[in-house]
Amino acid sequence: MTLLDATREAFQRLFAGDRELWTVVWISLKVSLTALAIATPLAVALGFWVAANRFVGRHAVIVTLQGLLSFPTVVVGLVLYLLFSRSGPMGAWHLLFTQDAMIVGQAIIAFPVLAAFTLAAVQGADPRLRETAVSLGAGPWRSALTSLYEVRFAVVAGVLNGFGRVISEVGCSMMVGGNITAYTRNIPTAIALETSKGDFAQGIALGAVLMAFALGVTALLALTQREGGSR
Amino acid sequence: MRRSLASLLLCATTLAGAADLRLGATYTLEDSGILAVIVPAFEAASGVKVKALVAGTGQVMKYAENGDVDVVFTHSRVDEEKLIARGIGRARVDVMYNDFVIAGPASDPARVGGSRDAAAALKRIRAAGAKFVSRGDDSGTHKKERQLWEAAGGFEAWPGYLSAGQGAGRTLMMAHELDAYDLVDRATHRQLARKHPLAILVQGDPRLLNEYGVTTLMPAPARPVNERDAAKFAAWIVSEPARRLIAGYRIEGEAVFKLR
Repeated sequence: MTLLDATREAFQRLFAGDRELWTVVWISLKVSLTALAIATPLAVALGFWVAANRFVGRHAVIVTLQGLLSFPTVVVGLVLYLLFSRSGPMGAWHLLFTQDAMIVGQAIIAFPVLAAFTLAAVQGADPRLRETAVSLGAGPWRSALTSLYEVRFAVVAGVLNGFGRVISEVGCSMMVGGNITAYTRNIPTAIALETSKGDFAQGIALGAVLMAFALGVTALLALTQREGGSR
Repeated sequence: MRRSLASLLLCATTLAGAADLRLGATYTLEDSGILAVIVPAFEAASGVKVKALVAGTGQVMKYAENGDVDVVFTHSRVDEEKLIARGIGRARVDVMYNDFVIAGPASDPARVGGSRDAAAALKRIRAAGAKFVSRGDDSGTHKKERQLWEAAGGFEAWPGYLSAGQGAGRTLMMAHELDAYDLVDRATHRQLARKHPLAILVQGDPRLLNEYGVTTLMPAPARPVNERDAAKFAAWIVSEPARRLIAGYRIEGEAVFKLR
């Protein structure tokens, strides 16, 4: 099958509402968005806390967070696999080859991105803002929220970046999800499988959806940055 | 200039590629460990460098169709003969055989243990709503599973039926993790038995025969094939030294492949 034929068939399937295809897309979105919903509050809190406080080992924490940005996802998969395997310490939880395992993996992968973005944004913000808030009688929570509100666009950029990283991630999802049809098969693992099976049309269709997500996220990112800049 | 450079590069890669034999082999050959014995032995005997591409039989057939391999070593006689009928394959030789088994948790929730009828066993697994991990990748093992379902009166999915789309070893490992049943070839089962112990519950059904053959490919303008080395491999695999190697291949003392 030529590239052209495969592409034509891919778009036919996309617009014909091919059930198998859209199930894969739905699983991808569900897993990645859930992972972000779990990771975001924790990562933003950590990023903010590290930026706003001075403590021993702070520099080490920052370096570690930045190092984790390029942490290989297959290693996350490997470690989780060993933890979740029935012979592993968390085997009794029966998490291996479930969507929950994929969510845990993606939350871990997204976490450093979110934390590092928040950290950089808060560090880069005008410190007088928080001082002013405190001097106006704001408590620690109130002043923290004020600072975070000030850097909200950078945090959103972090979330979008994290989304971009997890939605296209294949190694960890394959290892802890198992690529089970209509359950743990997401867009990246499905593309890997369809390509090796020789069903290029399905691979191209899913690739098109993935690229549409990537483009959409980039557009959103540009939009938030313009909003943030023209403020 | 750029163009001539590109064609030079293309030329160089084709030349380098011509020295290698691209062997399309199935997961069961890799996962049972026999491929790692056969390839170096052939390389030593012939001086040909082998690049093994491992995938399910269905995928290997696609590789053959697309001209991505020179010779295929697979386990689906029907598809191998079809490849020849379509003019993509040239000739097939019988190499070896063993059998498939249905393996599962020792607790055997569907109570299929000890039976010989593989199709009936699959039906019982479905009726019991037990978990079954299918290869789901159009491999030789998956084709065998589909044949058995046909014999059982047709396939119908149930919530415990998990289609993994992965190789033999990984599928067995998943079945072990999930306390599920699995259709697997005896060699792969034996190879993983220590790490992923799944009990052999159903065996001895003549339909569970698992035959391996090597098929050389017909060259075509769109599919250049390293014919010379492919022919060497097809001749070597049925030669006396290769036969001794296959018959002597043991996993923990058990011979897992038999010769015709």
